[in-house]
Amino acid sequence: MKRLIVLLLPLLSSCAVYDAITMTGFDPNEYRIITEIRVDANHYKDACANPLIAQTNAVAMAYKTDLFEIYSEQIPGNDDGYKAAKSLNEIAQGLTRRYDIPPVPPLFCKLKYSSIESSAKVIQHTLGNRPR
Amino acid sequence: MTLDEIQSQLAAMSNAGDPTFSKFANDINQIVEQAKVGQLSNADVAEILRDAQSQLAILEDMSQLSFKETLNTCITGLIMIAGAV
Repeated sequence: MKRLIVLLLPLLSSCAVYDAITMTGFDPNEYRIITEIRVDANHYKDACANPLIAQTNAVAMAYKTDLFEIYSEQIPGNDDGYKAAKSLNEIAQGLTRRYDIPPVPPLFCKLKYSSIESSAKVIQHTLGNRPR
Repeated sequence: MTLDEIQSQLAAMSNAGDPTFSKFANDINQIVEQAKVGQLSNADVAEILRDAQSQLAILEDMSQLSFKETLNTCITGLIMIAGAV
């Protein structure tokens, strides 16, 4: 078996293997935030027809995706996670910006939340599989 | 490329290949259809399509992370086996 480890040593120099070894483990706070984002997006979708509630929800969502991005940013060995958090935040910030120029079509609001929800689901699945 | 050509390419993608990307292509085609009947402005459609690009980027980032997670599990398994022998 030791011979096998010795044979595997050259592999350790490759970036993918190094990244895999040094990658960050499961973080319950990170997982919690992305789960909340997914759940909120699913519920906020139903309030898109009411402009006042929808705008408040959009601000709340943008706050949470911002929190997720900033939280992910300083976790060591989390480059891919941070990039995904940044992209997700950009989708949510776009919805808040859109409410500065009313009226916002309910369909636009629903499509935005669908994008946020499906992206959050993809991220949540991957974060949930992180090594514990 | 005309709008019709783009839509027929999207329709072809909707009916073939990976289920995730098939659904993705189908959703985009539906957004284009909604734009055509005036339910969304051009600016709103552009924003939603940019979101679709962001979603693709997220899928790529998470696929990379998933690969590393699997590799990490394999390496951890090998270390455990090496320790037991």
